[in-house]
Amino acid sequence: MSIVPKETIEVVAQSIGISNLSPEVSLALAPDVEYRLREIMQVEAIKCMRHSKRTVLTAEDVDSALSLRNVEPIYGFASTDPLRFKKAVGHKDLFYLDDRDLDFKEVIDSPLPKAPLETAVVAHWLAIEGVQPAIPENSPVEAIVSPSENKKSENTKEDGLLVDLKLPVKHVLSRELQLYFDKITELTVTRPESNLFKEALVSLAMDSGIHPLVPYFSYFIADEVARSLNDLPILFALMRVVRSLLQNPHIHIEPYLHQLMPSIITCVVAKRLGSRIADNHWELRDFSANLAASVCRRYGHVYHNLQSRLTKTLINAFLDPSKALTQHYGAIQGLAALGPSVIRLLVLPNLEPYLQLLEPEMQLEKQKNEMKRKEAWRVYGALQCATGKCLYERLKMMPTLLSPPKHGVWRINPRIAISRIKRKLSTNNSSQQPPFKKMAVDGPAGTIQAIATTTANLQGAEDGFSPQSSGAGTAQSSAPGQVSIDSIGSRREKGGSGAPKGSVVLAQAWKEDLDAGNLLSSLFQLFGEGILSFTQSPEKSFFL
Amino acid sequence: MEEEELQKAVLTYLRKKGFTKTELALQEEQQNRLPSHSDLPLSRLENSPGRYKNGYSKLRSWAHCSLDLYKHELLRVLYPVYIHCFMDLVAEGHMQDAREFFQNFREDHELMHLRDLQKLEGILSPSHLEEMELARSLRQNKVRIKICEYSYDLLLQYLQKTQSFSILGIVNERINFEVSPGQPISISDDAEVVALVGSSHDLAKHINQKEVRWGLLEDSVEERLEKGNSDSEKAEDENKEIEPEENKKRSAGGGKQTAPSKKSKKDKLVAATGKNVRSETSTVAVAPRVKPELTLPVMPMEVEKMIINDLRNRVQLSSMALPSVCFYTFINSHNGLNCSAISQDGSFVVGGFSDSSLKVWDMSKIGQSATLGEDQSTFNEHLVGTEEGKSSCTVFHGHSGPIYSATFSPLGDFLLSSSSDSTIRLWSPKLNANLVCYKGHNYPVWDVQFSPFGHYFASSSHDRTARIWSMDRIQPLRIMAGHLSDVDCVQWHANCNYIATGSSDKTVRLWDVQTGECARIFIGHRSTILSLAMSPDGRFMASGDEDGAIMIWDLSSSRCISPLMGHNSCVWSLAFSREGSLLASGSADCTLKLWDVTSSVKGQKIEESKTSTTNRLRLLRALPTKSTPVYTLQFSRRNLLLAAGALSKC
Repeated sequence: MSIVPKETIEVVAQSIGISNLSPEVSLALAPDVEYRLREIMQVEAIKCMRHSKRTVLTAEDVDSALSLRNVEPIYGFASTDPLRFKKAVGHKDLFYLDDRDLDFKEVIDSPLPKAPLETAVVAHWLAIEGVQPAIPENSPVEAIVSPSENKKSENTKEDGLLVDLKLPVKHVLSRELQLYFDKITELTVTRPESNLFKEALVSLAMDSGIHPLVPYFSYFIADEVARSLNDLPILFALMRVVRSLLQNPHIHIEPYLHQLMPSIITCVVAKRLGSRIADNHWELRDFSANLAASVCRRYGHVYHNLQSRLTKTLINAFLDPSKALTQHYGAIQGLAALGPSVIRLLVLPNLEPYLQLLEPEMQLEKQKNEMKRKEAWRVYGALQCATGKCLYERLKMMPTLLSPPKHGVWRINPRIAISRIKRKLSTNNSSQQPPFKKMAVDGPAGTIQAIATTTANLQGAEDGFSPQSSGAGTAQSSAPGQVSIDSIGSRREKGGSGAPKGSVVLAQAWKEDLDAGNLLSSLFQLFGEGILSFTQSPEKSFFL
Repeated sequence: MEEEELQKAVLTYLRKKGFTKTELALQEEQQNRLPSHSDLPLSRLENSPGRYKNGYSKLRSWAHCSLDLYKHELLRVLYPVYIHCFMDLVAEGHMQDAREFFQNFREDHELMHLRDLQKLEGILSPSHLEEMELARSLRQNKVRIKICEYSYDLLLQYLQKTQSFSILGIVNERINFEVSPGQPISISDDAEVVALVGSSHDLAKHINQKEVRWGLLEDSVEERLEKGNSDSEKAEDENKEIEPEENKKRSAGGGKQTAPSKKSKKDKLVAATGKNVRSETSTVAVAPRVKPELTLPVMPMEVEKMIINDLRNRVQLSSMALPSVCFYTFINSHNGLNCSAISQDGSFVVGGFSDSSLKVWDMSKIGQSATLGEDQSTFNEHLVGTEEGKSSCTVFHGHSGPIYSATFSPLGDFLLSSSSDSTIRLWSPKLNANLVCYKGHNYPVWDVQFSPFGHYFASSSHDRTARIWSMDRIQPLRIMAGHLSDVDCVQWHANCNYIATGSSDKTVRLWDVQTGECARIFIGHRSTILSLAMSPDGRFMASGDEDGAIMIWDLSSSRCISPLMGHNSCVWSLAFSREGSLLASGSADCTLKLWDVTSSVKGQKIEESKTSTTNRLRLLRALPTKSTPVYTLQFSRRNLLLAAGALSKC
């Protein structure tokens, strides 16, 4: 009906002393009040505003409009500036005038305000024979921005006036940089697989002159990630661009991290990445998780809450059972990439209930959907890998047990190592039945030449990773200890096939060292013997 | 009940008497009446408020589905039907339904009629319909729509076929179709179609058929200069030529009282100049000459000399040669500057403020001169001069309300200001005093303008009248009444025989000063007219409105030559260059734009036969200012463009 509710009429009536206004009267008055209001505001006040050559309505105009209609003006709003309304918190359309209480004494005691500057007229040439001279009084010729943004700055300088000014920030990009940016963005979106794109990534990581482009790149990435969540290759390309930018030592990327981080986290914990089932979004998740972790490591000291915010986001995703398994996976990988202490503090306490939740998903008879089951296995693998890494770190802390590994053994005897891996794989398969066993078996078989990779693959196979992803996920963190890991196989070879069987005994024995031992045993209970591959061979061999 | 009993009685009577045939006939007749009974709910539905919504939405979808060729014509019908449906609903008291209906279809018309919709939106009761001027004029006048024969037939067929009588009623009652045979009118030619509101169009048509003597005054200074030039071609001393003339005139005239003798002398002169007009460069020469209807003041000799000197030094402007623009910026105006004016030579600048004060700056004292010298050195001097020049303004107090307009007399010796206290005051910058207070208007005076020859001035007011005054009388000489809303701006014609007024009713009118009658109505703007300018040859008029549209009108044919959206915001001021080749427009969007009049006008002459192609005014240059809306524009006699505006902090 009317935009003036009848309650308003009642309130107004009460305020002027009419308490017994009947509802019919207020109902009948409401439309008329609206009409009068519109008449004053939309017709008369606008007229006064126009004739005052303004485009902003002020209280003064309303006063003039009221006096035009022979109505007493509203007192108390003497201001030549338009009124500043504030938005009421929690309401969308409710505004109020910020009317502070003034202490009268304070007002009296305060020194007199400066007299307002006197109006003056200055003259300048706006144009000479149609051409605008490039003098400060004129708006810059090349200004692309709208004229209203061009503040008249020069009068202040001339007359020493105290005019509040903000000069527009102009960002001029050279033609070359524009071309460079256009080319890179085009490559990222259209040909992320090409060699040229790899070159571009190298250039992004090395070039010292691209700093002016950083805001554009960060905006481009944020924008493009949001837009092409269904396109895995593009997402991957974008993450590679991010990595290159992070690597570049010449650019100052910190101010733009706030724009980049959401995109990266999106690529870690998004529900769906890529549109096809065949899309290997796991890889992207791992990649982005490491990216996020590296950002945290590098800029954690500058932004104190960076890591806390990141872990909060991730742990929320991890602990929310309603979230998809893909999201859980991403969260676990993200947390794992942040380091073993994060895992120990955040993942391990929640491990047991989570695994109970996960178990029905993994079993053939309970979860009929094969996709879901695969996903569950993935998550399981990621968890195992993460906790394993944590365990490895714990064990490594016992320096007394560390003894230099004997390199010679595995060098001489690679074949044995491989056979050992295979055997281990078969035992694992029998106990865990990972759906990727074929791939896993093929992986080590195809890469005999280097033990390092095979061991990595071994881990990957156990954890249910594809070989590459585990390489990316674990090789980095375990790089210093790689040698010792490598030696696991060879050392164990000596220990013979007793290792799997004796693992229970092994776990028991570790109770001497309470902390690590308990950890291992509990982990062992949860994961079975798969976790043993994370224990360091020196210790194991020592024990054995 | 009674009827049934009666029928029963009749039937039993008939049966009793054995009039079987009559009985059958009666029964048959009764049965025939039954269907009419079943019509009742339908007709009740016809009376319910829903029928408007139904009828309109059907008409709307029908119009949108019609053939593209006729669509735009049929769509034009929608808006009047829409607003009248709404007002009918209000008039019948269905407040809720009216509001609902209005909101439902509001979007369709917002683009074209936003302002009207805003005004109409508030109407909620029948009494408001009576009260509001816009609604009243809509109700009282018919909307005129040009439509081709076939579209008209289509519409009527549709309305009859669908039996939507309420809509049909509105169409019949409120719309005046101008059915034209042949093809539908092209979409672009809708300048007149837009003007739905206004006085009855028949009247406008009638008025616009009157003759307008738009020519220039005979015996103007320009003319004499022309003559002088042509004489100098004959190797005669022009000064001598002019001076004796002047003396002759003085001896013959000596004042206003002896007008007849003066006129006879002028007639002779016209004959003389008629032969001498040969210069092709000047457009002024082409214009016909008319006699002044008012007795005009006599110009002092030294002033005339000065003017002639200025005319000799005038820069010829064209699309190739653009003018120099000198911009006066008001700083620290604290949003209080309402209007500004610049004297003819640019030496005085006046600002009218909302605190009722009027401030005059003598720019010639501040710098050496703002008008002369385009070299940078004087300019720099000028800027340095502002330091001590700040105090050089004189403040005039007298008004008791915001000042809305100010104007200098052509010779710069008087100043007029109009205010919201409904008075006009005459000031003398020389004496620093208020000379006269003219009281006559009952409401704020929006605009006041001196005539091109001084002595007379015109004012326009919120009381919907424009008035003509002379400086020596405190009562107005003429009152021009006829506008349906505020008269927002006023402008003199070059020959002083007419004034033009622009109004909130979206029309521009031309009034005969002598008779006080309306000589032309120009319909086409879509919002309040804020500025007017007359071309120096007296043939064209430019008007600018609140939406930023600028239109150029041909006074004699009362046709719009080139409508265009010139600015994004209010066009505060317009000015023709002194020889009429350029039009300058200043707007609230902080730009000053220069338009090519000559080419668009010429193009119009060529294409006069082909009415379908309306040519647009050609933009020559847009000059952005530094967040300074352009309040005033004026070409000096030497064709230097003077502009003024207040720096607004955003």
